[in-house]
Amino acid sequence: MMQRVSTRWIALLVLVALILPNVITLAQDNVVTIEWWTVNSEEYSEEAQRGLAAQFEATHPNIRVNVTVLPESGFDERMTTTLGAGEGAPDVAFFWNTNWYPQALDLTPYIEADPDLGPETYFENFWLTRAVWQDKIVGLPLGVGANFVMYNKAVFDEAGVEYPTADWTTDDYLEMAAALADPDQRRWGGDRPRGPFRAIWRNYGAFPYSDDSTTVDGFLNSDASVAAYTWLWDLVASGATPTPADLEILGTEGTGPIDLFLAGRLAMATLNQGHMLNAIDAGVEFGIVPEPQVEGNERYVNAWSLTASIWSGTQHPDEAYEFLSYWVGPEGQRYLMENGNLFPSIPEVLAEYENAETDYAQAFFSVLEYRQVAEWTNAHPCNSTVLRAAVDAWDLINLGEIERDQVEATLDGLVEPSQAALDECVARLGG
Amino acid sequence: MNRETEITFKESAAAAARTARRADLGHSARQWLGYAAAYGFMTVLALLFMIPLLWMFSTSLKSRQEIFAWPPDWIPTSPQWFNYASAFEKYPLARFMLNSAFLVIANTIGELISVPLIAFAFARLRFPGKRILFVLMLSTMMLPGQIKLIPLFSMFSRLKMIGTYWPLILPSFFGNPFFIFLMVQYIRTIPRELDEAARMDGASTWTILYRIILPLSRPAITVLVVFTFLWTWNDFLQPLIYLSSFDSYPISVGLAFFQGRYSVEWNLFMAATLISIIPVLVLYFFAQRHLIGGISSLGLKG
Amino acid sequence: MFSTWRALSPRARREALEAYLALTPWIIGFLIFTVFPIGASIYLGFTQWTIVEPPEWIGLDNYVRMFTRDPLFWQALKVTGLFVLISLPLKLILGLMLALLLNLKIPGMNLYRTVFYIPAVISGVAVSLMWMWLLQPDTGVVNTLLSYIGVKGPNWFWDRHWALPSVAIMSAWKVGGSAIIYLAGLQNISAHLYEAAEIDGANPWHRFWKITLPLLTPTIFFQLIIELIDSFKVFTEAFVITQGGPLKSTYFYMLYFYEEAFQNFNMGYASALALLLTSIILATTVFINYTSKRWVYYES
Repeated sequence: MMQRVSTRWIALLVLVALILPNVITLAQDNVVTIEWWTVNSEEYSEEAQRGLAAQFEATHPNIRVNVTVLPESGFDERMTTTLGAGEGAPDVAFFWNTNWYPQALDLTPYIEADPDLGPETYFENFWLTRAVWQDKIVGLPLGVGANFVMYNKAVFDEAGVEYPTADWTTDDYLEMAAALADPDQRRWGGDRPRGPFRAIWRNYGAFPYSDDSTTVDGFLNSDASVAAYTWLWDLVASGATPTPADLEILGTEGTGPIDLFLAGRLAMATLNQGHMLNAIDAGVEFGIVPEPQVEGNERYVNAWSLTASIWSGTQHPDEAYEFLSYWVGPEGQRYLMENGNLFPSIPEVLAEYENAETDYAQAFFSVLEYRQVAEWTNAHPCNSTVLRAAVDAWDLINLGEIERDQVEATLDGLVEPSQAALDECVARLGG
Repeated sequence: MNRETEITFKESAAAAARTARRADLGHSARQWLGYAAAYGFMTVLALLFMIPLLWMFSTSLKSRQEIFAWPPDWIPTSPQWFNYASAFEKYPLARFMLNSAFLVIANTIGELISVPLIAFAFARLRFPGKRILFVLMLSTMMLPGQIKLIPLFSMFSRLKMIGTYWPLILPSFFGNPFFIFLMVQYIRTIPRELDEAARMDGASTWTILYRIILPLSRPAITVLVVFTFLWTWNDFLQPLIYLSSFDSYPISVGLAFFQGRYSVEWNLFMAATLISIIPVLVLYFFAQRHLIGGISSLGLKG
Repeated sequence: MFSTWRALSPRARREALEAYLALTPWIIGFLIFTVFPIGASIYLGFTQWTIVEPPEWIGLDNYVRMFTRDPLFWQALKVTGLFVLISLPLKLILGLMLALLLNLKIPGMNLYRTVFYIPAVISGVAVSLMWMWLLQPDTGVVNTLLSYIGVKGPNWFWDRHWALPSVAIMSAWKVGGSAIIYLAGLQNISAHLYEAAEIDGANPWHRFWKITLPLLTPTIFFQLIIELIDSFKVFTEAFVITQGGPLKSTYFYMLYFYEEAFQNFNMGYASALALLLTSIILATTVFINYTSKRWVYYES
């Protein structure tokens, strides 16, 4: 009986194999097909991007664009696998991980020959952090994003606290957070940073190691760094900020506690322009200020743009550039702004944003002018390795396991393992 | 089924009837008490196991603001049933599930063809090199899957199989070591007298496998089918790496689209997740009666 | 091997040939899907490979680094070993207990079996969020219930001593999956044996120790090996919930491997890490297999 059944299964299998979707399409001789990988996100939906590709194809009859839309959470694994295999990578895609840059085609000759597009087209600081790497142009920056503090006006009014202004300081932040917190309603004043050595650390003037990537001592445990960590200690001790448990549960996948903010349980939260649109949709009255400064120091912002690049293994670099410069050029970014939620990285196009005159848009645009945290981190690829070795200080403070005066000693104690991690990383990457 | 087993089957049925009668007479009060205790205990335990499902269900019916409200509500103030419709509208979930179903069927066929054959050889046949091959077979389970990703991708790429379902189906035809091991252990507990009696009657090795061993292995085969379904349904990484067209994605990849760059619409995400597990549970509900059977119902003297 | 072959009788040769024939699919699959990737990893383990540039041969340096100057490696090994010690017995015993319950011949059991299978079915982010919510220190369901009986619950995932047990509890909750395998194993125990024992006056407790447990040893052996492999490879929970913290108390081996491979693009070192893990599991399995002759009872 079993034998008869298995023959039937084999027959079924053969049948099934025959109807398998056949993805190999025979290209016409004069038409070049470009593989384009992208993700589906709040800024650009799958539909909008297909529309963009269709519009490009209409004006470029010799190029066909094959769109692969991947989920955000799997894009890295797929890119890494194909780049590692050295085959099957797309002609055009996001190269948003700096580790991939060595396999991005150098666009310098194309940019030099292009009359319409160049460094001056884009925001200068985004061009410098996201398009230029070593002496290459590795891609073009698509869209802009940044962290800033959003405050819930209703909660401020209820607590009788004045709204923050752009020139507020880290001390103001502590004070306001304490005044806004209300344990009875399980409401917190402000959130805590999601990692060390981001905007607030920079505002204190702190870096994890020396600019030439040789020394940790005197940087991780510098006065500036101790001051930043101590600020975190004060914030944690005040009880005005959600615990790590609450932030992780309610912080939606590490991108920011937007849901907690919308529910009115967090008066101030470090969020981004995507969350800003969520808040507008939800009808929450809010204002925007940059992350607090430290008087006398230069001010930084945690900002980003996505590097869109051409894979160096492409068979059709010219056509790939045609498409890339359309997608990330004024036309493409305008299309994605009008058919989605993209904030273009091109100042002239961004100025066309329909709500450009609103307070929130102006506040958002203004933080884009600050110096960027990424300026240093992108140029120092061992940053994450060193921070992993030094994570104990962060954990101990967040768990409330050390006293205020132990912060410095804790950082001193982490210098040695961090230095070892730095040396190993530098040796591997060849300086 | 041969005459011998038929006789023993009758015997065991008689034995079961005897047990039942004895129970009716002597132990009925105690047995009822036992039933009540078992039900009570199982119900409490089941409720504990159900908490996540109930919570997901409750979340799937809330509005975005209500999910994180304090204090949390188990029962949404006004259930948003249209969250389910929205989830389907947002992405082609039905299409994704159909693709998953295709992968499940193809993989099940593959495993059913390969696994019993391989397991039978390991469990019953004598051949030089058996121990080494068996350990090698086990060792393939120990290597972390991620390390194989890049070499396998290169290989399938050279075979021009990227963008097709082949890389997701083909391996099952060569036998999954987990199921091979499971079947080996299962077959080893089936009395050898059965094979030997059949061999005396002139049955070939293959007849013994397909006429005697396989029918008795129904519980193990059921486990194979249930787990193949579950693992194929939930596999995220492989379809992600090998598939290219949106319309060909399985549900595991489809669900990942609900997680955006900046936030997750938890209510829609939970609704979609709940819908996606229904087929797995339905299959299991109907398959699990086949978990019961095998030798215990035959009542052979071991 | 060939000398053994010559020593075989014609009948035994025939049997061996049939075995090789039956094994052909697996052998082909092994050569294609395993030998090639393992060979590649062994080679890469001796190189430094950043993925985007060609691998560079560095000999044994990856292994030397692992053992002599990598505190994270030892931390990951320690955490993972501890997890195996906690989680393995927990899952083996709970799975068996659940299977015995689900094997009761009472009406409505279909429904119960399905309910207990649910945790094994749901995967991914939804489950992680649910567990964080259940184990939230102040307001989570678990600590709320504990407070009713006057116990102050721990901080679970957010406590350096409790984070690892929390992950173990989370994985034990999925025990419905392994209960299915025990359930299948229980079907191979002849009802006659129980009957005979009952006539001899053995109570249920005796029947469990004298019949069920010994005859279930092949299944227990299977579960032991499988759960061992699974426990060594624990990853998702730490990746999604704890990111290895707090204070690296859940810094599992596979998490370290993943960070090296896919975040730091240190694929050569990651390959060496993977091979070492495979060797550890393999050695443990071979040892268990060796002891199995003493405690696993097969029919023949």
